[in-house]
Amino acid sequence: MAKPKHILLASHNTEGARAAEKLAYSFCGPGTTLHHLIVVPDLWKGMQGDDWLNNASTRDTFGRYVESQLEEEVRTHLKRMLSEIKKRRIRYRYEMVQGKPTECLIRRAARGPTDLIVLGSPRPKGQTGLRSRMLDEKLFRSLRVPVVIAPYPHD
Amino acid sequence: MIYTHKTVWTLILGIIMVAFGYLVQAGVLNPMIEFLNISKYVGKPESPGEMIILPFVCGIIAIVVGLWQFAVKPKQGNLDYYLSTIGGVMFILIIAFVVKWGLDPLMGVWGKALKPTLGFDIHSVMNLNYVVMGILAGIIAVNVFSIPGWAENGVRLSRLGLKTGVVLLGVLYSWQELANLAGLSVVMIAIFVLGSVGMVLWMGARRNIPNSMGGVLSAGMGVCGVSASVAAAPVVNAKSTEIAYTIGTILLWGVLMMFIFPIVGKQMGMNPTQFGAWAGTGILNSAQVAGAALAFEPGGIDTLKVAEIFNITRILFLPIIVLWLAVWYVERESGAQKVSHGSVIFSKFPLFVLGFIVMFVLGSTGMFAPGSELPGKYFDNSEKHLVKKNPDGTVKESKMLADKDAELLKSEAGKLTDETQKGALASLLENKKATSFEHDRQLASIMNSHVLSVKANKVLKSMHSAVYKPAPRISKFRDIIAWFFTFGLVGLGMQITMTSIKQAGGQPLIIGSVVGTVKAVGSLIVVWLFVKEIV
Repeated sequence: MAKPKHILLASHNTEGARAAEKLAYSFCGPGTTLHHLIVVPDLWKGMQGDDWLNNASTRDTFGRYVESQLEEEVRTHLKRMLSEIKKRRIRYRYEMVQGKPTECLIRRAARGPTDLIVLGSPRPKGQTGLRSRMLDEKLFRSLRVPVVIAPYPHD
Repeated sequence: MIYTHKTVWTLILGIIMVAFGYLVQAGVLNPMIEFLNISKYVGKPESPGEMIILPFVCGIIAIVVGLWQFAVKPKQGNLDYYLSTIGGVMFILIIAFVVKWGLDPLMGVWGKALKPTLGFDIHSVMNLNYVVMGILAGIIAVNVFSIPGWAENGVRLSRLGLKTGVVLLGVLYSWQELANLAGLSVVMIAIFVLGSVGMVLWMGARRNIPNSMGGVLSAGMGVCGVSASVAAAPVVNAKSTEIAYTIGTILLWGVLMMFIFPIVGKQMGMNPTQFGAWAGTGILNSAQVAGAALAFEPGGIDTLKVAEIFNITRILFLPIIVLWLAVWYVERESGAQKVSHGSVIFSKFPLFVLGFIVMFVLGSTGMFAPGSELPGKYFDNSEKHLVKKNPDGTVKESKMLADKDAELLKSEAGKLTDETQKGALASLLENKKATSFEHDRQLASIMNSHVLSVKANKVLKSMHSAVYKPAPRISKFRDIIAWFFTFGLVGLGMQITMTSIKQAGGQPLIIGSVVGTVKAVGSLIVVWLFVKEIV
């Protein structure tokens, strides 16, 4: 199989996503660009849903705190990715968006250029992590490019 | 930043409201109003009711703002922000109108119609009233259709609606009520709040969850749900996933409890004080406490009054708990930043509670209702108040003691041992009504002693209620408060997303479920055993 020129990798630093990263690297060859999509799930919008008692200052403090936490997580993720990318000399672009993970991926894939999409598997039952997934029927119906799903690293 | 969204929807909602108000006023909707049995909301030509006033007032505001949005280019500033909320406010209100004047009475009609088939009134047993359906409508709106961008600022304003409702509620308490409830609530909240916080921390340590997770979960499970977690998260350096787990768990519990509590309370035959005390202690989320109290007693506000005192007591514990967790966290985590005790207490103190106290003090001066027997009600045992007559002089409705009820009380009179109570009952049987305020207090004491049967107590309760006449200003306050809560709760429903609830899981869900159940069942037992008073 010819090496794809534009690979879209959606990962957010979970075990499954890290397996997808490794798989994406293996598809990369000279002239390939790895487009990395990081989605901050929209579930955070509802996280203050039932807070009506606090003063505005407490809500603002919480909002800023959550933002800084999410930023820190993304920064750590990117730092690790960038060091690997540098080592492998891969052409790399990243993009961070907020919204529903599936919809964000569909939108990004439609915007192109994308030859291949690499995704991680959902974590097995009992593993901790947020319940915000990209893999659903809507995704597969909407995408117009091949999708590769990395198996979950069971070791 | 410009907040105003140029949308035609504010204008459309305004036109719909005004058109509805006009149709009600013109009598076009009379057949439907009679079918739904909601003519009390229509009022009379000389004093129109809420079904005419609210649509006209809100509709005109929406039309003016809707037109302004097209005619004027918004400028950055406070005015832009406030006007940008109007669309969302009208969006919530129109849902509240449909639910309160449409779905709630419709469920009432269906409940009665289905009673012979089902054997119970589904409207009453399942509490399918405007409060529950309003919150559900909000939850459905956000999760199925999502909230349009132009309505988002208005939806956020629902927090203010709930706070305003609590502040205004201050008017309805008497010194005696507040003194009775405050003592009880401080004891119960201290036991159950501190107990649940301690239990989460203890279980967390045994199940090896991180301190940050234990800290944020204990605040939410112990004090007042999401609000406490929001206040505690930065103090205990909670990770984003820990926050998501905690809030998911609390929202899931809050929504479930809001439906389960009123059903259990009704099945157990709780009085407003018992249910208010139980909901105010056992339900995690403060909004769900208000929702459950209004669901338990949609036509009145007594349960809400009791529940809110418990809730306010709990809120007052919030800064203390956050401070406790901050100190606890610093002791356990090397590198954790120390916080200033004073600034935690000051910044977490809920300012709107001061508003509640101010309104209570103003109400106590007699500004809104002279007379102090019951807040906002006068003792009135005149025939004019108790017996309503038709124009031809025949009795239309009487609140005097009926013969069959008198027979029931006579048959049970022997159970009484207290001479004063015996005298009060004899006087009631002779005069067919409470003859004085003191006499009425004796009847209330018979009820509270639970010596007579449930049926006889119901008769006494109706005799007690019959001799009180609501003060007009206080009645208006009650209506306004109910609307603030309805607005707030529908809007709050719109902020409860399934994606947040779906995050519930793992150890936090296990610990949260155990502690939540212990708290709900424990407070139920305490209330059932020790709280008998009807305040």
